[in-house]
Amino acid sequence: MSGTPIANDIRRLRFEQGEMTQQALADACGVTRQTIIALEAGRYAPSLELAFRIARAFGVGVEDVFRWQPLA
Amino acid sequence: MAWQRGGWLGLLVLGLLAFWALLAGPSTLMGFDLGKAGTATLVLVAWAALYAISRMPQGEAERGLSPGEWRAWIGLAFMLAATGYFLAHADVFAAAPWRENPEAAAVGRNLVLLLVAWSVLSGILGARWKGRVQEDERDREIEQQAAGWGRGALMACIVGLALMLAFSPADRLAWATHFMIANLLVFALMWGWLCEYVATAVLYWRDRRGAA
Repeated sequence: MSGTPIANDIRRLRFEQGEMTQQALADACGVTRQTIIALEAGRYAPSLELAFRIARAFGVGVEDVFRWQPLA
Repeated sequence: MAWQRGGWLGLLVLGLLAFWALLAGPSTLMGFDLGKAGTATLVLVAWAALYAISRMPQGEAERGLSPGEWRAWIGLAFMLAATGYFLAHADVFAAAPWRENPEAAAVGRNLVLLLVAWSVLSGILGARWKGRVQEDERDREIEQQAAGWGRGALMACIVGLALMLAFSPADRLAWATHFMIANLLVFALMWGWLCEYVATAVLYWRDRRGAA
């Protein structure tokens, strides 16, 4: 549950999608709002399935949401 | 707002009184079974707290905590109460076997009451979140990590008991009747569950604090 080398642009994409709320994204992906909070804070690495669900909710590809960013 | 704060404070005081009656108070007070009274008060406090939470508008209660974290903290509170109560009354199990030991039967009854209350409260909470996601992969990951801690604590307790029973001189094990050993094994189970709930609650809390 600590830091993860997978960075994401979920927060930016939410705001680009008409200020979508964390709860709305959570409902669209079938997870709790706290999981979206943990993802945005970079404290949780999603499973492949959840990564695809999130990308699909934004209508973009997985690599547009997540990127590899090794920990320093 | 002030009466709400007063209500929560009142519930806290009642809860503390219930814990005192269960764990530290005498077994009877003016001919009244304090164990039963403590259990009943604790159940009442839990019911009242959940009723108050259920009256809150959706979102206010859940703003910070996920359903999984709510369940973890409630489970921790009940396991703490049950384990503390069990330990505070452990001496009654040494007295006589179950059939000839009404005090041990009363302790067992109160523990079952706590368990039933916990199940009912969990059901009520589940109904509050009906139709919403109650558990996801992050919750399962936390539960898996916590289960590892619980398993470790259970194994440590069982190994400790086995070593104590195997290597203690017989004259120092006069208290270890078969009924007492059976109850020690139950305690080992409770200890494992308690550690699992502690780990679950701490993992959720740490995750939330880190994300804040």
